[in-house]
Amino acid sequence: MNVLASEWLKIRSVRSSQILLGVSLCGILLGFGLASMAADMYDRAAPEQRPGARLAELEEVVLMLPQLCMGVLGVLAMTSEYASGLIRTSLTIVPKRWPIMAAKSAVVTAVGLITGFVVIFGSYFVCRATVGDRFSGVYQTPFADKLPLLIAFSLTVPVFALLGLGMGALLRSTAGAIVLLVGLIYAIPMIVGNLPDPWNSRLGSVMIGALPREITGDAITTTVYGSLLSPLAASAVLVGYATLPLLTAVWLLRRRDA
Amino acid sequence: MVRCGQGLACRTLYGVIELKRLTKRYGGTLAVDDLSFTVLPGHVTGFLGPNGAGKSTTLRLILGLDAPSSGQALVNGQPYRSLSRPMHQVGALLDAGAVHGGRSAHNHLLCLARTHGIAPSRVTTMLQQVGLAEVARKQVGGFSLGMKQRLGIAAALLGDPGVLMFDEPVNGLDPDGVRWIRELMRSLAAEGRTVLLSSHLMSEMALTADRIVILGKGRLVAEATVQELTARYPSLEDAYLALTAKSLEYGSTGP
Repeated sequence: MNVLASEWLKIRSVRSSQILLGVSLCGILLGFGLASMAADMYDRAAPEQRPGARLAELEEVVLMLPQLCMGVLGVLAMTSEYASGLIRTSLTIVPKRWPIMAAKSAVVTAVGLITGFVVIFGSYFVCRATVGDRFSGVYQTPFADKLPLLIAFSLTVPVFALLGLGMGALLRSTAGAIVLLVGLIYAIPMIVGNLPDPWNSRLGSVMIGALPREITGDAITTTVYGSLLSPLAASAVLVGYATLPLLTAVWLLRRRDA
Repeated sequence: MVRCGQGLACRTLYGVIELKRLTKRYGGTLAVDDLSFTVLPGHVTGFLGPNGAGKSTTLRLILGLDAPSSGQALVNGQPYRSLSRPMHQVGALLDAGAVHGGRSAHNHLLCLARTHGIAPSRVTTMLQQVGLAEVARKQVGGFSLGMKQRLGIAAALLGDPGVLMFDEPVNGLDPDGVRWIRELMRSLAAEGRTVLLSSHLMSEMALTADRIVILGKGRLVAEATVQELTARYPSLEDAYLALTAKSLEYGSTGP
């Protein structure tokens, strides 16, 4: 418990965490901006074009912002200690080492979880109010129907925080870990999407972006990802993203010279 | 041994650092080579050696940061990594710059204190004791090296440990600070603590240390009291230069 209190103070006593949290919350504003733009375009379109107009789920676009920010929060929780050398002090006063990682994991998971839920549910309600009954009532479906997908979206945010923490602990370099993280969100899905059939949908199904819809069984045909996994398998893959790099990092941390 | 500090309950101190045939190899390089010595309580033990002699590696091995290739480093009879609540047994300052520049001095110490449930009032007391009370809420990034040394010393003393290790704590301090460190080291030893102090400043070491351990190329070159060395040589500096002449890693080629 003491180590947890220490790590909580570590994360909230630096400005970078506050900035990342602030930028994440701007996701709600981003959602409002996108929804207003879409509503405006819809209103200005000719009446005969309106029935065919489609709108993607705006939360899925917004999601990238808290994902990236909380991923970076996770990275920095580890690499800022390596960059300054503080890690030596940390490992000296907690020589078992793993409690540090456990405490950091708990802290970034909690921050990521709350941030994810606030941003995703916040932008959903803002978008719902802004879009109204436009776009064939895409935002008029009952909240209960939408709930599983919103929860799944939100859960990917703490997954990114843990993934960032794991990458940071493995690479011990801020730049390296952030490059990998950004690659996972943007670059790799783009490459995978352009692979020849059937590899695009096979690999596309295990991309983080594909998992929320696979978990809720809410597959859409227009997705850039694949949708081959069952809800259970997709949940397992999501847990794997969060835990495998982290567990490898703990294993290495206990063995490596600091 | 038993120590009775001011306002503190008497307690037994086993402030001993023992190195037993300690060896550390990095790839093909022997950083520490079959090193054995004991650091006893109640003295300031100076830890000397040329650059690259293995002093910092030895300190890291004692603190369990690096694992020895063979041999043992024991603190209070145990390998460091098996100590419970290590802040109350060992305090160390390895690198004063190893702090997050964006954190305040108070928060930095509080982060360390919390791992052991040490009260925030102890953090305030230590900041006063090292002369940083007025900048306690300022970001450490703006501190001079001397101020960071003071912060590092406060961190080492937080848990009131019996064993203390300082790597070059005098660097960057003004004359006032140098004297402060000297008196602090001596008073910590007088309280019955074990103090291991590494420094390149021979004149300062002659004034501060009682015993000297000299390392060269990872091996033990000499282990003696300052008195013994200054009896055999004109000064501690002469003793050091004579003893390490053969083990200079990065020496100049003459005057």
